[in-house]
Amino acid sequence: MSVASSGTSPLSMSVILSVTKDEWRYWMRSKLALSVLVIGVLLTLGSVIVTSIQMIELNHQRQSLQNNAEDTFVDQPDRHPHRMVHYGHYAFRLPSPLSMLDPGVDAYTGNSIFLEGHRQNSAMFAEQRQGTALTKLGSLSPSFIVQMLAPLLLVLIGYSTVSRERESQTLSFILGQGTSVGSLLMGKALALFFIVSLIMAPLIVSSVFALYQGESIAIVISFLLGYMLYLIVWALVILAISSVFSKNSESFTSLIFLWVLLCIALPRIASTTAATIAPTPGKLETDFAVIAELRKLGDGHNANDPAFDKLKASLLKQYNVDSIDQLPINFRGAVARNSEAELTQVLNQFAEKSMTKELEQTLLARHFGWLSPMVAIRSLSMINAGTSIETHHRFLRETEALRFDFVQALNTVHVEQLDYQIDINRSNDEASSKKARVSAENWQVLKDFKFEIDSPSTRLSRSTSSYLQLLIWIVFLSLIIKTIGRRLQ
Amino acid sequence: MTNSSTQTVLNAQSLTLKINQQTILNKLTFSVQKGEIYALLGGNGAGKSSTLKTFLGFNKPTDGKVEVLGQSLDNSLALLRSKMAYLPESATLYPHLSARENIHYFLSLASIKKSDAEVNDAFKRVALQESAWERHMQTYSKGMRQKTAIALALLRQAPIFLLDEPTSGLDPIAIDEFNLLVRELANSGASILMVTHDVYGACQVADRIGLLRSGELVGEFSAPTNGRIDTEQVHTAFAQKESA
Amino acid sequence: MSQLVSSITREWRFMLRQKYILVLLLCTLIVTSFSIFSGIKEVSQQHQTIERLKQADLKDRSEAQAKYDDVGSLAYYSFHLSYSAPSNLAFAALGERDVYPWKHRIRMLALEGQIYESDAQNAELAQAGKIDFVFIISALSPLIIILLFHDLFANERNSGRHDLLVSTSISSFSLWGARSIVRFLALYFCLMLPFYIGATISSVSVTMVVAISAIVLVYMLLWTLLSIWWAQKQNTAPRIASSLIGIWVLFAFIIPILGDLAINHSVHSPKGGDIVLTQREAVNDGWDLPKETTLKAFVETHPQYKDNLQFKNTWAWNWYYAFQQVGDQTAAELSQAYRDASQRKYELAGWPRQMPSPLLSMNNKSATFTKRFGCFITPSCLETSSLKNRL
Repeated sequence: MSVASSGTSPLSMSVILSVTKDEWRYWMRSKLALSVLVIGVLLTLGSVIVTSIQMIELNHQRQSLQNNAEDTFVDQPDRHPHRMVHYGHYAFRLPSPLSMLDPGVDAYTGNSIFLEGHRQNSAMFAEQRQGTALTKLGSLSPSFIVQMLAPLLLVLIGYSTVSRERESQTLSFILGQGTSVGSLLMGKALALFFIVSLIMAPLIVSSVFALYQGESIAIVISFLLGYMLYLIVWALVILAISSVFSKNSESFTSLIFLWVLLCIALPRIASTTAATIAPTPGKLETDFAVIAELRKLGDGHNANDPAFDKLKASLLKQYNVDSIDQLPINFRGAVARNSEAELTQVLNQFAEKSMTKELEQTLLARHFGWLSPMVAIRSLSMINAGTSIETHHRFLRETEALRFDFVQALNTVHVEQLDYQIDINRSNDEASSKKARVSAENWQVLKDFKFEIDSPSTRLSRSTSSYLQLLIWIVFLSLIIKTIGRRLQ
Repeated sequence: MTNSSTQTVLNAQSLTLKINQQTILNKLTFSVQKGEIYALLGGNGAGKSSTLKTFLGFNKPTDGKVEVLGQSLDNSLALLRSKMAYLPESATLYPHLSARENIHYFLSLASIKKSDAEVNDAFKRVALQESAWERHMQTYSKGMRQKTAIALALLRQAPIFLLDEPTSGLDPIAIDEFNLLVRELANSGASILMVTHDVYGACQVADRIGLLRSGELVGEFSAPTNGRIDTEQVHTAFAQKESA
Repeated sequence: MSQLVSSITREWRFMLRQKYILVLLLCTLIVTSFSIFSGIKEVSQQHQTIERLKQADLKDRSEAQAKYDDVGSLAYYSFHLSYSAPSNLAFAALGERDVYPWKHRIRMLALEGQIYESDAQNAELAQAGKIDFVFIISALSPLIIILLFHDLFANERNSGRHDLLVSTSISSFSLWGARSIVRFLALYFCLMLPFYIGATISSVSVTMVVAISAIVLVYMLLWTLLSIWWAQKQNTAPRIASSLIGIWVLFAFIIPILGDLAINHSVHSPKGGDIVLTQREAVNDGWDLPKETTLKAFVETHPQYKDNLQFKNTWAWNWYYAFQQVGDQTAAELSQAYRDASQRKYELAGWPRQMPSPLLSMNNKSATFTKRFGCFITPSCLETSSLKNRL
């Protein structure tokens, strides 16, 4: 930690430590500080335990739903392959190991997707919607407790750290004894830092648990370091404000005001600003554009659609035959496969466009991290934990790949294993309908799906700007404290 | 106002005050007459300020009674308070206001209207330098703050003055000026109860001195007609009682 | 009366000289104005979106109708737009419109597979929450009140002015009362002025504005009286504010979070996934089941269509739509239970919201549950397919 060292006398470790010890003794004796400290640690601990249990349950639940979905698909009886395209499949997003510390957007995005032919569905069942709407201000997640409440607790404990000495005029007494301002401020900072460590302890323990669940060590360290920096920012804010004011009550009021501004108002102002400045068209609106685009492509269910004349011509040419009846492959299947590919291209194009827009909007909100350390740590935490919007986008992309794979695999089965004549006569009577089926063995084309979050390096590189924001805050505050220290001298 | 017949203005009768089981005042009995300057003299923690605050109604007597102008405080606290001008020990007025603004604010609290000229007169009477009148009071020295507070007390034109260590923080010249001022007030019919630990200052200005120790009145000294209380005598009593 | 007026004027002038109160009030005014401004902007964006959707829907529908001429295909390719337009007051209470979708487009197929899709806003922004007027009143205003009132007495006591002030003042009301009234009214107007402007722009009815003003007044009064009462009982300003903020944290976070845990624990809800899975199986089974079975199940709930259900081929649109509907019927019980649980949770959550808590009501759950619509087989029904939203 770099804190002001503006005293004329050199910094002395023993002096610093004795200041730290003195501060701790004061806290231990003051009922307020002690009870706040106990409440803080208990809250963090409680939230860590409750959230861990919840996320582990969710993990099991979604894992078994996923296995279930795969089994049901594979267990389907003999059918027309296109029936299976519409039968569809489900993909579930497994929570990341660190999501037990920061569930991020998990409750706000749906966590399952229905995958079927010709459509890109959006995620369903956002937990928040099935909730009580009571947790609008905050949830029990450790991330929320540490981001929002820990600074408040730090303020309640440390608001008087220097102002107390000024108010009771012990400051001039201490300085008169030859203690440098630098040592004094360092000692106070160190005392606050120990509180920060205490608050961090439950986080550290459960991160070790995340490590055990397969999270990379680099990410865990980066995650914890982020929170450490964040709390240090607050410790420095407290030190600075407490040194500026000569009255405890003034220091207190200013710190609470700052807390309200930085932790409650600004994060919301950030998201509101982003939503106002860079509005994103909803999925519904993009869907219109998609549908208009798709109409041009023709309906893959209708092989007679003039849109497929070109495909027909090229296939006839390729197999050197005169009519589709003579083709060695099923023309209806070819049409389905071809149109699915074209359609997916259009869908992906629009999906990418709207994800880009959504990401731009998010990045805009994240820029408020320069103004509020809370915004910085929020982004940093979610990015590292793999619960940010980027990870959700990754989920959407991966499920889309899964969808396209199995649909096209089924279409290929349609092309290769179902005779065209049998296929076009399938609606004549029950018997023909029964005939137009392929073996259930083909359903094995479905790949196992296990959602993996972004690689540690990707997540780390995404969190650079948040890190930079926190570091700038620290440098800025250190400079301020240095200047104040010179004035106190 | 110049009715010179003796009239008890402040009266404490076997006043006992306990705060958190601690006895602050013990069966204190004394009175201040109209036009009289009474000084309660005592060391730290003798109960001097508590006595003033009991007269102002901030402390409720545990036993005994206090009367102001012959009336109990329970009956008409607000009215009686309006008859008393109180000068607190470290008189900090609002630091972000100038002396004049402070005066106007406090007078308005008391529902008293004074013109700027009258305020100027008061400032001159307490010898507050003119350059400071419009300055924010956070730049004031302790003596200047004290003078402003005294000016406020004067402007309230109350018949009773309760002064808590009025001369602390004043320089010797200012103390002399202050003593003259207090005498002037008494001559014009005001009654003054001041508490102090300054033996010399008390003897200089007071008509009567009550010696207070651990909440008990342990001695009373009166000035001879047209004379002063003998400092030596009070000092001896004070030192004796303190060491006892 | 004139005494009151002069006290108020004195304290008003006095407050104008107190920088930190002015800074606090100014910040409040700025943040409130921002919330109202962004609320109005958001609502107008929503209105524009709905307009665009309506037009696009009309265009899309006529294109579909131009392309297909048989009733079955028309039904299959036509979408039905449903939306819940923001009310006049929505600018002040965006409610949960960022979490719950307020627009849907649905096809005449099995509904359960469609209605849980989310066209919500950016999840990361929704998680951070938005700053609307209701949030400012319910969550921020108690904190500002605490900041304004906690040191009403303690500040004067600490500076040694308390006794002088009290003994000088003609009555304690003329001092503390007037001071509190001035601070309270100043805050009230900093909070309400932007709202009044917003309400005028959005043409909110006068009764509504009066009602909201009254609610806000009562809510703020509760917090103010609590702060003043507590401020009298304690000595040092930070201690007073700490306990008041503790109470705020209790109402804002602890009780709601515990309530949420308890409610989620006590109300059992079917998993959303189960509804769609059940429905999917039922719909897909429909292809293989004897047609009579499907039609029988359908006619049971829709006897009015029993004469429209003759067909010769293995494939027929009316049979196709019938088994879609039967699929929904199979999942109906689960789906109903899911919605009931959701509704029940929301009702149970009502009591913590009734308290003078920072989760002040007024935010209505916006269009969340799309009421199911009947199945249409006859062409005439195609026109009347608008979905009703339940608020």
